[in-house]
Amino acid sequence: MIGILWDNFDYAVSVLLFLIGLYCVIAKNNLIKKFMGLNIMETSVFAFIVALGVVKGGSAPIMEPGARPPFINPIPQALILTGIVVAVSTTALALSLIVRVWRQCGTIEADELRELE
Amino acid sequence: MWWQWPHWLPLAVLVPLGGGVVTPAVARGSARRAWGWAAGVSAATVAVSLALVIRVARGGPFSYAFGGWQPPYGIEFRFDEVSAFAFVVAFLGALAIVFSRQYAPHALAEPRVPYYYTLLLLDIAGLIGFSVTGDLFNMYVFMEIVSLTGYALVAISGERIAEMAAFKYLVLGAVSSLLALFGIGMLYGVTGTLNIADAASRLGAAASTMPVIVAVALLVLGFMVKAALFPLHVWLPDAHAIAPSPVSAVLSGLVVKLGLVGMLRLYGVVYASRAVDLSSLNWLLTWLGAVSIVMGAFFAIFQDDIKMMLAYSTISNIGYIVMGFGLASQYALVGAAVHIFNHALIKSALFLAAGAIIYQTGYRRLSDLRGVGRGMPLTAAALSVGAVSIVGIPPTAGFLCKWYIALGAFEAKRAAFGFALVFGALFIFVYYIRMVNAFYFQEPVHADVTHVGDPPLSMLVPVWILAALCLIMGLAGKVPLTFVAPAVSRLLGPLGG
Repeated sequence: MIGILWDNFDYAVSVLLFLIGLYCVIAKNNLIKKFMGLNIMETSVFAFIVALGVVKGGSAPIMEPGARPPFINPIPQALILTGIVVAVSTTALALSLIVRVWRQCGTIEADELRELE
Repeated sequence: MWWQWPHWLPLAVLVPLGGGVVTPAVARGSARRAWGWAAGVSAATVAVSLALVIRVARGGPFSYAFGGWQPPYGIEFRFDEVSAFAFVVAFLGALAIVFSRQYAPHALAEPRVPYYYTLLLLDIAGLIGFSVTGDLFNMYVFMEIVSLTGYALVAISGERIAEMAAFKYLVLGAVSSLLALFGIGMLYGVTGTLNIADAASRLGAAASTMPVIVAVALLVLGFMVKAALFPLHVWLPDAHAIAPSPVSAVLSGLVVKLGLVGMLRLYGVVYASRAVDLSSLNWLLTWLGAVSIVMGAFFAIFQDDIKMMLAYSTISNIGYIVMGFGLASQYALVGAAVHIFNHALIKSALFLAAGAIIYQTGYRRLSDLRGVGRGMPLTAAALSVGAVSIVGIPPTAGFLCKWYIALGAFEAKRAAFGFALVFGALFIFVYYIRMVNAFYFQEPVHADVTHVGDPPLSMLVPVWILAALCLIMGLAGKVPLTFVAPAVSRLLGPLGG
């Protein structure tokens, strides 16, 4: 068991980070902290997908004279670049929503907001 | 013929995407100009997606390879019978935009109106993209376009708890997107491809089934949060009830279907590859669907707010569709797939009619709206047609799908679910009767409600087009059923009937 986890250390860490993020989203009371949990989850998924493309001893797949395989798979990195853009826009939207909640209700603690409703 | 031009397929996404982005620039601050532009763009989108539907009806599924790079290496758009959802999206989106002509300046602050149209058009673009993409990662990207615009559209009304509802929707929506992305990443890790058709052929050769099972579980969980199946529905009622009514129609009719269309795509991959046995998942989905039908109806009975009631009714109807998926027989799946289309029509009719009533009277509680049937006869009649249709009384659109799902339950030798479905329909009947009763037969609480008059034509026409379609789709119900049947046969084919 430990051996398998050690061999797949990168995957295990992403799953762990994902769960930490999920815990923050569920358990934290402050909306900004909740959202930071979400950012941790995003990072963990991105790390997982980038780790998929890693080849031991591989080099960057730039086709120039003298380039020698094995190459690292570039597709996951390209995907995650898009993923990061999505994450940035989600973050921007969420933070602006939090600002509006603060202006309207005077608090960003989830339990106090529930009382206001 | 004009519909055979290959480039219609990318244009179906690019037209609303481009048109939406430039809306504020075209409008230059004027709500009227923004409406004209958005209506034009959405009309063009309807025309383009109509071309696609004609082509698929005549010649079967087709695909488009971007930049001439052939799949599985290039990016592919693929249009099959399920993708005809794109046409429903374009059509309902256009009606919602027409409806917004007078509603949007009334419900929103004036400077926000052009941005409102931008968000609506981007939402439509994302939904069309999601239903036509042939690529797993692009599914995620389009899903995020739809979700992000959806969060913003919920918050745009600026009502007191709108931002809170939007934030709740955002957190759950983002978690579900990440679950789906994790699943997509795992499928990529197992198969080494992002093309859906290619993944279907390679998944069977996966070295180990465990990661496939985890990937399928993550994707299903993500899609079911998006679809608001019963225990995962908590974000839906507030978000759909607070949003401006045309947005509620789009969210409830179309955006929740994202998860269901995604499920059909995922099932296509897994069934075709026979990599894992889905019977226990199907068992779970059938049960959750049945629970969802009953619980949605149960919560709806206690709602006084008309839009809240409609929002809970969406949860019931998602239950019907998911139950159809879970039963996994030919009849049930055809019924479920057609109900994706029909529920979109019915629920949009209901939300737009409710929006028109709220616009004219200023009230949104059933107890305040007593007697509105006398004040707004045409709108209340349209709402009643929608209500009859969603309960599933023949000869309306809702009846046929539910009948097919019930037949599917008998076909799959699980008759109990057929009865659960009928029982759920009775439950739904109760609260729609309550609504119709309040509109027509109870004494008005507010005297002004009885002589407000019907709304302007820009609202009445979309509402009645949809109400008429609720009847037409019931009477001509064979057309969508035979249209979807080949896709379902292809889906179930590898299972040997």
